[in-house]
Amino acid sequence: MLLLKLAFRNIFRQRRRSLLTAISMAGGYILCTFSFSLSEGSYNNAISFFTLDHTGHVQIHKEDYLQRPKIHKTIDDPEQLSEILDSREDIAAHTLRVFAPGIAYSDTDNSPAQIIGVDLERERTTSTLEQKVSSGSYIGSDLDSDGYYSAMIGAGLANSLNIGLGDELILISQGADGSVANDIYIVNGIIGNRDSPDRNTVFLPLVAAQEFLSMYGRVHEVSILLNDEGDSRSEASLLQEELQDLSVAPWQVVESTFYQSMQTDKQGNNFSMGVIVFLVFVGVLNTVLMSVLERTREFGVLKAIGSRPTKIALMITLETGLLASLSVLMGLLISLPLIGWFTAVGFELAQPMDVGGIVMSHMTGEMSFYVFAIPLALIVLFALLISIPTGIRAARISPTEAMRST
Amino acid sequence: MESLASNGHSHHQLKAGLTCSVLFLCLFSIQVSGAERAIEIIDEMEALYQGASSSATMTMIVETPQFERTMEMEASSIGTEKSFIRILSPRKDRGIATLKLDMEMWNFLPKINRVIKVPPSMMMGSWMGSDFTNDDLVKQTTLTDEYSLTLEETDEQYAIILVPKEETVTVWGKIDYIVNKEYMVPVAQNFYDDNGEIIRKLEFSELRDFSGRMIPSRLEMIPMNKEGNKTIIIYDELKFDPPEVDESIFTLRNLRSRF
Amino acid sequence: MLTLKLAFRNLFRNIRRTILTVMLISLSLAALIAVDGIMRGMLTLMVENVTSTIFGEAQIHRVGFRENMDVDIYLENSNELEQTLQQDASLESYTPRVMSGAMISSSYNVSAGLLYGVDADRERTISKLAQAVVRGEYLSGADSELLIGHTMADLLEVDLGDRIVLTLSEAGSGELAQALYRISGIVDFGMRELDDNFVFVNISSARQTLGMSDQQTHEFVLKFVNSEDAENPDLSIFQQLNDEEVEALGWLELNEQLGLIIELSSFTSLIVGLILFFLASLGVINSMFMSIYERIYEFGVIKAIGTRPAAISLLILFEALLIALISSILGIILGYLLGLYTSNYGIGMGEMEFSGIAINNNIFSEFHISQFTQFPVYVVLLTIVAAIYPARFAAKIIPSDALQRSL
Repeated sequence: MLLLKLAFRNIFRQRRRSLLTAISMAGGYILCTFSFSLSEGSYNNAISFFTLDHTGHVQIHKEDYLQRPKIHKTIDDPEQLSEILDSREDIAAHTLRVFAPGIAYSDTDNSPAQIIGVDLERERTTSTLEQKVSSGSYIGSDLDSDGYYSAMIGAGLANSLNIGLGDELILISQGADGSVANDIYIVNGIIGNRDSPDRNTVFLPLVAAQEFLSMYGRVHEVSILLNDEGDSRSEASLLQEELQDLSVAPWQVVESTFYQSMQTDKQGNNFSMGVIVFLVFVGVLNTVLMSVLERTREFGVLKAIGSRPTKIALMITLETGLLASLSVLMGLLISLPLIGWFTAVGFELAQPMDVGGIVMSHMTGEMSFYVFAIPLALIVLFALLISIPTGIRAARISPTEAMRST
Repeated sequence: MESLASNGHSHHQLKAGLTCSVLFLCLFSIQVSGAERAIEIIDEMEALYQGASSSATMTMIVETPQFERTMEMEASSIGTEKSFIRILSPRKDRGIATLKLDMEMWNFLPKINRVIKVPPSMMMGSWMGSDFTNDDLVKQTTLTDEYSLTLEETDEQYAIILVPKEETVTVWGKIDYIVNKEYMVPVAQNFYDDNGEIIRKLEFSELRDFSGRMIPSRLEMIPMNKEGNKTIIIYDELKFDPPEVDESIFTLRNLRSRF
Repeated sequence: MLTLKLAFRNLFRNIRRTILTVMLISLSLAALIAVDGIMRGMLTLMVENVTSTIFGEAQIHRVGFRENMDVDIYLENSNELEQTLQQDASLESYTPRVMSGAMISSSYNVSAGLLYGVDADRERTISKLAQAVVRGEYLSGADSELLIGHTMADLLEVDLGDRIVLTLSEAGSGELAQALYRISGIVDFGMRELDDNFVFVNISSARQTLGMSDQQTHEFVLKFVNSEDAENPDLSIFQQLNDEEVEALGWLELNEQLGLIIELSSFTSLIVGLILFFLASLGVINSMFMSIYERIYEFGVIKAIGTRPAAISLLILFEALLIALISSILGIILGYLLGLYTSNYGIGMGEMEFSGIAINNNIFSEFHISQFTQFPVYVVLLTIVAAIYPARFAAKIIPSDALQRSL
């Protein structure tokens, strides 16, 4: 089409002006993608920190174990459940756990403790437990040469019981059959530090805990990690339908207090994003208006020599649209590697954050389709929207007036 | 089949005597002397299984909707303040023992070879997973001090109604003590909340002759607010003032000893 | 100065462009002010949610208490402490607390929980306990009164007036102690952690049960006249109280998690601010260049007749300065108006899934003097800096090239 060719040529003819306009829009695009990436990133970072810590994306329990934990509310056939979960595409990993409140004794002291039995192998890929080991090692599930199981204890417990690696730990609790659960374990790992949320927890191999509590083969909780956190709710409903006699809950329900505060945070974020988008709009407005209105004289001449107003308006719109598209493409080329770096490496924080044993040293962003697509669509849209009325106005002006203006 | 023990005889006489004085002193409120009588009856019931000292073997069956567990144990006691219970079966729990001295309790767990004092926090917890709490075992002796008692009777039974005094620390609004007149043995203990709803029932049944006394050999503790839960204690053997029971049994040293 | 006058007049030569540029810059400033206000509001909300529910702005304990909440580690000489607190002008109010783990039994069930003995009147000024009472009455000082979390009440199958027996170890002796209470109120904080586990009684009664004297306290909770004081560890009251036996810490030190989140938030706001600045400067540069190109013929002429490059630069810079000043004033007004609206109505957007005493979800924007003093300065500086490149460009124009330009 002639108009298209004209529009194209015009852009390159007015190199300086086009370049300025393009830089302005490209810059706006890059900044916009960066903000989106940052916003998404910080939100998702917080979530993954939390969910990877121990919650997982989806949890399965028996009945209302989550609200009213009772030792007898158990998932009786975890093996079958594991098979189902392993075969689902969206599930990255899952782990099995058993809980009981108890009292821990050392030679000299005693203290209440939370006892958690975990499938050590699975736990590696589902939570950050292994990274939380601050001294000793991540235990195995075998009996040692004396016939004792190993245990990992929180640093708070190690301190209040005055025990360390290699020492004997006694646990007392109540078994699922009502008997007094009591046994000796060897401390082979210490978890976190004295302020960690896990500081008063004892981690045992799953089989050891099941034996201890006389609940052979049964578990209290299955924690699931998905490939995409965003699927948490939908995956939870799908699973719930399939597993009629169990309770499936997404992390938003499991950790409702955290979720609530994240929502509040998100609000604030959305507001900021809104402001940024608005500013980008103003920038584009500024840019487009300036560049179109600058050329009023030019259009006046065109009209004087016979160009039709509609054609002029169309050409203006085309030019602007084209320029905008080229600008964002340019922006995309720069933005892609930039955001890529931001996602992979990110900014180093002045002070690394220690969140319950896990250290976060960088602030990273998120790389997703939306981060790039939305600003692109927005800018092109803004440009077009602005150029249409402007173009029409420019096209309507009388040639003599036009040629007189600056 | 049963002949009344000598204790029973004397009580019959005592009762007869009391009844006379009640009739004679009719100006006195029936409640007052009823209360005295009630106290006597309660004391008698509590002493029923103890005597000055006693030893017993019993079976405890704990039923819940999730499991059923049967334990066999042997127990010794002196009065109501000192008792020593040892679990004989199942194998897993064999050797676990509980020592009670007055208001304090200790458990010995052979698997870990430790004596654990039962901390106050565990006092309200169940004993060995049953429907009896540690508190129950420890508090039996204070019923008469901390409650106001009234006595009602029918031809067959005494019903003693215990209402906690203002300052009494208890979760119960009322306790009934039903006693069979003929044999002077407890029939039931009912525990109520403040609204008069029955929350827990302890039923005594199956009278047997133990060393000359007629005593209910079967106790059933039934929580009324928990479906399908029940604890049954069956006395297989019960001896009174046996020679082998002496003070040395009720020590921590003994608690720890090899069994 | 001539240059200044010229600069001023030049602005009106292309009113449209001037207006557009002013609009961009003033909106950027207004945006900055708005975003800052919201960020502050959000932080305040977060902090408030934690501190005003039950935690307080600062707490005083005996050293070692916080590790396991050991009932034996209490503060002695409470009277003396209270005197000190009373005399400190930076405190708005304070309240004592006594706490212990306990077994909580009803006629129907038993559960482990946490006992909090509180001073009913003073507690009102510090926490939201009184507001959290949904049924029955708040504490009035009578011995047997007890407030219980609603989910715990469900678990224990109890209601107002029912018996509750607390079983715990006495402080010091470790002996078993039991006490009878009657439920006088049911609380709902909207936070599982609190509703599931807590019972509240009058502090005198709690002390009695625990065998503690009125000189012995586990915790004092403080509220400052100026909330920000709580974050300052060098504050006189902290200096005064902290020694080997006693520790007095603000919520920031007590609650590391929150502190980290706040730091992260500040960092994020900083970045957002920078982004806004860049966006604005792009617009400024664009606008400046446009205006220069438009007058390039002119510049060619005046340079040809001898105007010094520096003077041309200065002209451009002055133009930028003037635009900046006008925009700042406009921006401040806009920012103020926007802030006024959002500070009164908040930005509660969408549906609130959750709300309750503990978590208040509405963010209210906050004003701060720096928004109206620092930010405009930044914007003016930014505008001038953004104009430097165009100014230099203008100064370097070669008259012969410029004069060749036709349209």
